[in-house]
Amino acid sequence: MTGKIRLKEVVVEKGAQRDAFAKSILDRVSRLPLRRASSSEKNLDGNGLGDSKEILYLLPYRGEFLKPCPGTREYICCGYQILNVGTNCPLDCSYCILQAYFNLPYLRIFVNLEEELDPIFHRIDAHPEKIFRIGTGEFTDSLALDEITRWTDLLLPLFSARKNVILELKTKTDQIGRVLDSNCRDRIVVSWSLNSPYIVAHEEHKTAGLKARLRAARQCQSEGFVLGFHFDPLVFHRGWREGYLRTLDLMDKYLDPKKIIWISFGAFRFMPALKWIIRKRHHATCVLDGEFVVGLDGKMRYFKPIRLEMYSFMKENLDKWSDDLGLYLCMESDEIWRKTLGWSPNNTEGLRRYLDGRVLRFFG
Amino acid sequence: MVDKGKSERIAEAPVRRILLGDIEKGPGPYCMSFGYDLQPLLGSIKAVGLMNSPVLREDRGGALRVIAGYRRIHALRSLEYGEVLCRVLPESQFTALDALLYNFHDNLATRRFNDVEKGMVLKHLSEWLPEDQIIEEHMPLLNLPSHRPTLSLYIELEARLEDEVKVDLARGNVALRTARMLLEMDRRTRMSVFRILSNLMFNVNQQLQFIDYVTDIAKIEKKGVPELLEDPVLVELCTGDRTNRPQRTKAVLNFLRSRRLPTLKQAERRFHETVGSLNLPEGVSIKAPPFFEASQYRLEVLFETGEELRRKIVHLVETEGLLALGDPWREKP
Repeated sequence: MTGKIRLKEVVVEKGAQRDAFAKSILDRVSRLPLRRASSSEKNLDGNGLGDSKEILYLLPYRGEFLKPCPGTREYICCGYQILNVGTNCPLDCSYCILQAYFNLPYLRIFVNLEEELDPIFHRIDAHPEKIFRIGTGEFTDSLALDEITRWTDLLLPLFSARKNVILELKTKTDQIGRVLDSNCRDRIVVSWSLNSPYIVAHEEHKTAGLKARLRAARQCQSEGFVLGFHFDPLVFHRGWREGYLRTLDLMDKYLDPKKIIWISFGAFRFMPALKWIIRKRHHATCVLDGEFVVGLDGKMRYFKPIRLEMYSFMKENLDKWSDDLGLYLCMESDEIWRKTLGWSPNNTEGLRRYLDGRVLRFFG
Repeated sequence: MVDKGKSERIAEAPVRRILLGDIEKGPGPYCMSFGYDLQPLLGSIKAVGLMNSPVLREDRGGALRVIAGYRRIHALRSLEYGEVLCRVLPESQFTALDALLYNFHDNLATRRFNDVEKGMVLKHLSEWLPEDQIIEEHMPLLNLPSHRPTLSLYIELEARLEDEVKVDLARGNVALRTARMLLEMDRRTRMSVFRILSNLMFNVNQQLQFIDYVTDIAKIEKKGVPELLEDPVLVELCTGDRTNRPQRTKAVLNFLRSRRLPTLKQAERRFHETVGSLNLPEGVSIKAPPFFEASQYRLEVLFETGEELRRKIVHLVETEGLLALGDPWREKP
């Protein structure tokens, strides 16, 4: 784990400790106080419970482990699928949607993951004509807890062995030790969420610094991993142009653009309920200072000309680095696509085809 | 719960004539009445007298506290009665928790609690019972979800809100969601916001919008909310003599919206100016999508006959300046 992440307790739900996956996690955190979950634990909610990000909660998950990314019809979605290995994230970014998205606290690790992978791969194997782009970094950070959970030990060989799937590990850490130790390279994309140095320093509280992330990315790239990057959220803040340019400069310094499968942009957007959680938990934040209006999906978004300006700026400057970076927008309209990237996939199916095409180009 | 023996003790408690001056003045630790309208009860007592005796608890020192009937005693005091017949239970027979539960269930059976009263109930209960028990047993009786943060919210409402805010919350003038936002503020900020809320006429959404705007603007402009609300333009809008309260409310929200969303406001103004300069035929209007978020604008033509429609379309085609229409932030052709 990064030096900034601290765990103070492990809580185990009744029956969960019998699971082999849970046992191995408990062995690795044996120095931490351990307790059984109490019945009143269910009366808690996740809002504003900062301390709960320091508590590891082991439980079996009874829902679907593989689920589509929660896009909305009003904007173009990439057709991503989420492998739900756990929920909530120890990194505590001020803008994090998970603060409002989940109504349960703690870093929840699903101990029955291994047994639930069989039906998932059965589904994947039943559709060899289809490409499954799957990630673990939507409901938690893919690598922040990897030294404890060893998700990558379990998942990389299983994904790497298949031809119609990629696994994207999305992170804001530099915790790549176990990824590098793996022999698996095929069908694995290691991705970093990036931002301007100011946002990284002031809003992404327990993450690795920008240079640390890029050093980790460079190491992965030099050891044969395909990389992805996500500028999501792009945050409108004082000096944003200079800030994002600085990040692009660092990317140029550290990385080879030829081995980047995609770079996405998504301007900051949020469910209205998130606003007061952010205000309460992150007093000094600047992420709410922009001009937000209600989007077609009911989420708050930057007023359109602001988004147009930010995306156009990023595209223009990334184009100077390479014209083959697989740029795409996360949850934007056809109009915004055309006016900023100069083309549009028209709809979700079109974007899915475009990104599947990138997978085929990079992995065959 | 109050067991049968205890309930019999209440029924069998002697009725005594008590001087109103001997009963503890404040609402006391068992009371759960707030923001009520005393007039109907005053009318009833004037018409037929007091029908049900209040229940009091007498401590070892002889002090008398109201278990049930605080409003009745309040009404009698208002009517300048000197004494009242009460059932009096000695402390030795009826614990403080018994008294609290008795009053809680007595009220539950006869009326609904407002949000302040729910806070009073939960705060009193939390002094005697474990949280889990309150969450599981008592919150459902108050039509509240069994949810720890909800319990905390209601206790905070009771413990921290000023009486004048509570009065408006109890009367429904301040929404629960608004009260929750007010709780997040320090006292000075809360009262500066509350004074405007209570002086103007905001509906629930407008209350939330108002708080949202002033919180955002104060943060962006790096000043306190009270200082922001002392802005002379805003003060003038809040107090303007020539406008009524709904007009003042609308003007205040418009002013804050312009300050919070200047780019949007400028786009709206430019768009309206452009459309206004087109000299469109009567019954023809052009509208922008909400917040300009969707890509298409809307043309509406009102007509009675095909001939009228044709005439208006021809007029439209010949309208100068149509090419200037479009996103108001782009360079005009």
